[in-house]
Order: sequence, then C-alpha cells, then structure tokens
Amino acid sequence: MNITFNTQSAPHIPNTNTVTKVMLMVWLALIPAMLAHVFFFGTGIIIQLTLSIIFALGFEALSLKLLNKPVKLFLKDFSAFVTALLFALCISPVAPWWISLIGMFFAIVVGKHLFGGLGQNIFNPAMLGFAIVLISFPQAMSAWLPPQEIAPYAMSFTDNLQAIFFNRFPSHIEFDTLTQATPLDTIKTAISQEYALSEITTQPLFGDFGGLGWEWIANFYFLGGLFLIYKRVITWRVPAAVILTTIVFSLPFNAYNADHFIGPIAHLFSGGLMLGAFFIATDPTTGCSSHKGQIIFGAGVAIMTVLIREFGNFPDGVAFGILIMNMSAPLIDRLTIPKAFGQNE
Amino acid sequence: MKEFQFNPNHLYSFQGGLQLKHHKNDSLDKPLTVADIPDKLYMSLRINRGNIAKPTVSLGDKVLKGQVIAIPDTPNGSIIHASSSGTITAISDKQTASPDTDIATVIEITTDKEDQWCKLNSFNNGQPLSSSDIVSAIKEAGLTGMGGAGFPTHLKYKGKEISTLIVNGAECEPYISCDQQLMKDYPQELINGIQLVLKASGAKLAIFALEDQVGGIKSSIEELINKNNIENIKVVKVPTIYPAGGEKQLIKVLTGKEVPSGGLPLHMGIIVQNVGTIKALNDYVVSGQPLVDRIITVAGDGIENPQNFMALIGTPISHLLQQAEFNREKTNRLIIGGPMMGYAMPNADIGIDKTSNCILALSEKMTKHSGDTLPCIRCGECVNVCPANLLPQQLHWYIKGKNLEKAREHHVFDCIECGACAWVCPSQIKLVDYYRYAKSELKYLDFKRKKSDESQIRHELREARLERLKAERMAKRKRTRRRTTNPDKIKLELQATMDRVKKSQKDKDQKDNQ
Repeated sequence: MNITFNTQSAPHIPNTNTVTKVMLMVWLALIPAMLAHVFFFGTGIIIQLTLSIIFALGFEALSLKLLNKPVKLFLKDFSAFVTALLFALCISPVAPWWISLIGMFFAIVVGKHLFGGLGQNIFNPAMLGFAIVLISFPQAMSAWLPPQEIAPYAMSFTDNLQAIFFNRFPSHIEFDTLTQATPLDTIKTAISQEYALSEITTQPLFGDFGGLGWEWIANFYFLGGLFLIYKRVITWRVPAAVILTTIVFSLPFNAYNADHFIGPIAHLFSGGLMLGAFFIATDPTTGCSSHKGQIIFGAGVAIMTVLIREFGNFPDGVAFGILIMNMSAPLIDRLTIPKAFGQNE
Repeated sequence: MKEFQFNPNHLYSFQGGLQLKHHKNDSLDKPLTVADIPDKLYMSLRINRGNIAKPTVSLGDKVLKGQVIAIPDTPNGSIIHASSSGTITAISDKQTASPDTDIATVIEITTDKEDQWCKLNSFNNGQPLSSSDIVSAIKEAGLTGMGGAGFPTHLKYKGKEISTLIVNGAECEPYISCDQQLMKDYPQELINGIQLVLKASGAKLAIFALEDQVGGIKSSIEELINKNNIENIKVVKVPTIYPAGGEKQLIKVLTGKEVPSGGLPLHMGIIVQNVGTIKALNDYVVSGQPLVDRIITVAGDGIENPQNFMALIGTPISHLLQQAEFNREKTNRLIIGGPMMGYAMPNADIGIDKTSNCILALSEKMTKHSGDTLPCIRCGECVNVCPANLLPQQLHWYIKGKNLEKAREHHVFDCIECGACAWVCPSQIKLVDYYRYAKSELKYLDFKRKKSDESQIRHELREARLERLKAERMAKRKRTRRRTTNPDKIKLELQATMDRVKKSQKDKDQKDNQ
C-alpha cells in the first residue's frame, strides 16, 4: 500500500496547551504574593527563591541523568521551578541556605523522582521537602522576621545574605527582637501559657484578621488563585472546599471558647492556608481526579489543618494536612468514580 | 420506555465539551458544485462494524447507475448500488474510507460517463404510502446513517414504539459543512423526508436540531414549515459546543435524558436521523433513485478552493481534491471526516463511501502539536471536557499499566472517542488511542474468555461423560467379578453348565438313537 500522507490518529487539529504553560501560569499567579512578601519581610525571599531554584534544577537534572531520562525535555516542563517557588514561599526569609538544599533534595529526589518523576509522585514535592525540614530543623524554621512595619531594624539585602549564608545577624540589634516567631507560633505558645486569644492578638504582630503582613500575602494568594481558576489551570472545587470547610469546621470551636480557639476568618488569613488552598492542595498529580473526590480532598485538608493548629504540636498544619490527604487521594478516587453518561438512567 | 417532556424553549446541557473554531464558512460561501464523474469508482462493500456485503456482479459485467451490485449477507446490512454506469473492472481487497480504515472488498467500476440510470422503482402510483412501504423503501434505497457511524437505517424501524424523531442537523465538528449546505439547498426535500420518517416510525413529533451558528437556515426552514401548515416539526437551535451533534449528547440537550449506557435511543422511544439520510429517503420515494451520491465538504488549508460537492459514492478522494484545487506540497495529512474524530488516509486513491462527510487536507502547521509528549500530570482538564462523564486521566493510567479490567470499571466502553480529552491535554498525550486500544483488547479478551469458558464447559461435560462411562464399566465389571469370586456361585454356575452340557449330550444321544 502506498502511504503518502501522515496517518496519525485524531484529533488532527493541534492543541496549544502544554505542561510548561500550565506551570508558567502558576508562577505568574504567585508573583503578586511574592512582591507582597518582599514588601513585608524584605528581600530574603529573593535569595531563598534563587537558592531553591538552583538546588531544584540541580537535583532534577541529576535525577533525570541517573535515571536515564531525557534531561532537557523534562527541565523544560518547568515543574521544578514551581516546586522551588512554593518551597521558598513557605520557609523563613532568613532560613540558612542548607534548608533549601535539604528541602529540595527531599522534594525533587525523594518526593518526585524516586516515585517515578513528573506526574507519578504521591506527595506534593514542595510540601514533602517543607515537612521534612520543619520536623528536622524546628529552630531554623521557626525564626521568622517580623513584618518591616514593626521591625526594630530593616534587614538589608546584604544583611539577608549574611544571615542566610553565614548565620551572621546584625550585631547591634538583639537577636531576639530581630527574629520573631510567626503569628500562629506566637498564638500556640501564648495559649499554652494560658493567655486568652483576645489578649494575644492585641500584640503589634497581628493585623485585622491574621498576622500583620501575612493577611495581605494571603489576599494575594487568593487573587492569584482566582486568576488560575479563570485561566482554567485549576478548578474552584478544591479551594472552595478548603475555605468553606475551614470556616464551618473552626466555627463551633471558636463559638465554644473564643479565647482558646482561633476564629474562622483568622484561620483563613493565617499561615499557609490560602497558599495551600489555591496552589498546593490543587496540585492535580497528588490530589483527587473525580470532582466529588476533589471536594472531599479539600475538606480533608481543611479539617486536618484546623485540628493540627488547635490540638497538634505544630503551629501550622497545612503542609501536614495536604500530605495526609495526598496519601488518602487514591482511596478517595476509588470510592468516587463518577457515573458515566447514561448510567443514571 | 423513558418518559420525557420536550420544550423547545428549555434546553439542557451535557457535561464537558469544547468550543472550537468552526471554519465552516470557507466552504459555505460557494454554491454546491456537482462533481464530475470520475474515470473510476471505488465502491467499498464495507457496511459497518466489519460487516461486508457480498457482490452480486462479476468482473466484466456492465452495470447501470442505481443497479444493485452487492447485498449484505446478514440482516444488519444495507444494499449497495452502482453510483454510475460502466463496467466492473476489479473486485478486490482495497483500502476503504471507512471510519476504521479497514481493508475491505471494493468493486471498481470503470465509468462510461453516460451516467445512465437503470429502471427505477416507482412509488408515484397515487396511493398514499403506508408505514411499512416506507420502511421497505429505506431498505431498498440502501440507506445508512450519513453522519458518521453508518448504522443501517432500516434497523432503526423495528416495530419499537417511537414517540419522537430527532433530525440531526447539528454538525459539530469544525470544517464539515455538508449538512449545512444540504439544509440550505434542499429544505423542501428535507421537510418531505421528515414527514416520511414520521410516518415510518409512528413518531408524533420531529425535533429538527441545528447549531446556533447556522444563521438564516432556521428561519427559512421554519417559513417552509409554516407555509405547508405542518405542526409536528419543531426547529430548535442548540448551542455550538463540540460534540453537541453526537447522538447521545444531542438527545441530552433536547430532552434532558441520557441514553442508558450500552443502550440505544430506540429504547427511549427516540429515533435520531441525520439530515442527509432523510433527504436520500425522500429522493428514493419521489424518483426511485437509491443512495448513489452525497454532499461532501472538501476543505482545510491544503485546499485552495474549499467547497461542498455533490459527489457519487465511490468517487476517489484524489478526483475531488483536484476539483477543489489541492495543494499537494502544503498538505501533510489527508483526513476523511472532521479534525476531531476523522481518520487520516494513507493516500488519495481511495473511494468515498456513504458515511464520508468531509475530506480535509491539513498542512503540517495546522496539525503540529505545541510540545513534546510528557507524562500525565493529572491536571484534570480532560475530566472537565469529557462529554461522557469519564475520568480520562485515570483510564489512561490504568491502560498504560495494562490494567484493562480497571479501565472497564472506569467505564471505558462509554467513551465516544470524541477526542476532546486529547485536544486539551497539556502533556499532549494521544488519549483516544489508549481507549481504542483498551476497548478492542477487552473485546478480544472477552471473546477469548467466552471461548475458553465454552471449551471449559465442553471439557467438563466430556470429563463427566467419561467418568460416567467409566463408572458404568466398573459397575459391570464388579458385577462380573462378584460372580467370578463367589465360590458358591462358581460352583453353582459350574454345576448349571455341567448340567446343561449333560442335558444337551443326552438330547443328542436321544436324537441319534431315534
């Protein structure tokens, strides 16, 4: 038979969507929040981001090489960049450089490539890396900067470099006032010392809803998330489930004892909840595939987060909530296979 | 039968679907052209789903236009007529334009260009036609679904109670405009045809569905309906969302009901008929001319002069390409059907068949994918567009892992292969290929399982039979052995034998003495 034309199968008209585009869109959506981060916490995030990108790409290339996979093809997909960015947004702007190194090692090598690479990982790589450094190096991870509005001293770019690479902080300021715990951490400690929430939140560290500065960054995560929904990179289901469940689930606790349990709005605008709701719990690879499953997944993340924040040992529970739900995703998927067209009849 | 209420002002929607650039105006802004008679016609004898008709002519025979040249050997087939007059110059296996690109028996007619009709059946005897007259006309005209799948039309009229006829004028794939051309040029024939089908099926109502991008066609058809005082045909515009013209999706949009998985619209009291089929029925009843030609769109960026042709069934693709000013250099892919579900043809030396609605010549630029194929990242965009409510990424995952039973559990057989998932996949995975593979593999496995179950049963029956025979033999032997091992019995039997011998000796002696 004479074959003179290309006989590939349908569809024959091209599809312009690519993984790279999807990943770039996520990056784009995070830029406003990143700028807000710089505004409130200084230039540390830029250094952290550069470090994590370098480590992420390095580990990515190394893993691909060792696994005999096409390096260039997979570096082009931009997924390691997204992992690096999400990780950098989670860690303290003055965390030592090796936090990124270790975090990215676990994220990219263990979390991603040992499970089979792009699309095959069970855990969200950024959250896995973050959880490991959080558990292993609590001290380095909990030393955050106060927002620049209330900081006794604004860390310059060189100060940040010095702090990150040499653990050298400006000597004329007392270290304890230079770095401070995160708002959620502060609440956790204060509540364990039997302070009332109403007293705690009068500290300058707190803003209108959540932590000062933090709440603004959360706003930008929210906006970036809406952009992703608009661009059809993510759907509304997971973020909506996370946000609504957080409100519904934390409300009874707060109503029972408002001085001991954080209110729903404060939950939303504190810590990593908005980032998690729109950018991490929506990671399709590690989430649920059915629409019903996605709602269960989001609700699970919210419940775990509130439980860990209120009753756990860690100030924030978003990362753990997401990792726990990552593990449950295959089971949820199995139980929520949607009815195919015509099977309702 | 499922009950439903139809309200033309309240339509429903199906989940998923795509909004595609329709490219239809390229071919629609020119009038319908009657294509020249080609030197050779390639009449494919493939009907549908692997049914192949048996030729009733032999090599060297002279045939006239409209003469029967092949009949199906199963009831699930349709008759094939010669599209023009000429001589049979070959009957051989050849590539066909059928959706599954099967090789099938193809009758080659070398035309004499006279286009001479054979003696045609006449229905114009003044008598009103009965329902069964029309159904037999459908069969004799060799009608099949002209929208794509090629389901033999007469099979839809099997005495089931039909309440509604849906006339499918919703041509949802980009580029294809043959149905739209037909609705524009032959509205009267269509309305007559619809009335025939209503009569044949016993349906009370015909819903004529059009896409909302068709413009003035709706009002011109409605005008005609009003002029003829017809009350049981309702024209409805449905949203232009791919694949709204798919039978199941169209029914959902119009009635809100879903065709049961694995079932047919017939089970809901609905018949869906493509406009082309309806016009062909009208032609046969009015003039006795069977289905020998159809409207086909020739379009794509490899075509300088895209347009719709009225072409004889069996016309080689190359012949039509030539008349539409085909740019060979530019063309990378030659497709029969639309860009979403059509099949790429290996060459242009293939005859069109009753289901061929479009020839698409696309350049490399138009078909080029934006990136390399990457692993699935489970982004779920395929789930959002799947009109069959499936989880395409999970199916892909299971099929890739050779876990086909899992794919069945995830309803792979409900996939309509519309290609929407593959079209949105950021990892550029050819998803539909996986589903086709899984379906055919599962069908084969089921066939094998059935076979092996049957032989298992056969084997077990044989074993049981042998066992039974053996038991019978054993019982018999036991009886014999018991007889031979009981000393008293032996003695008795020996005695009996001895007596018998003695007796016969005695009898003999007596005889001798006498």
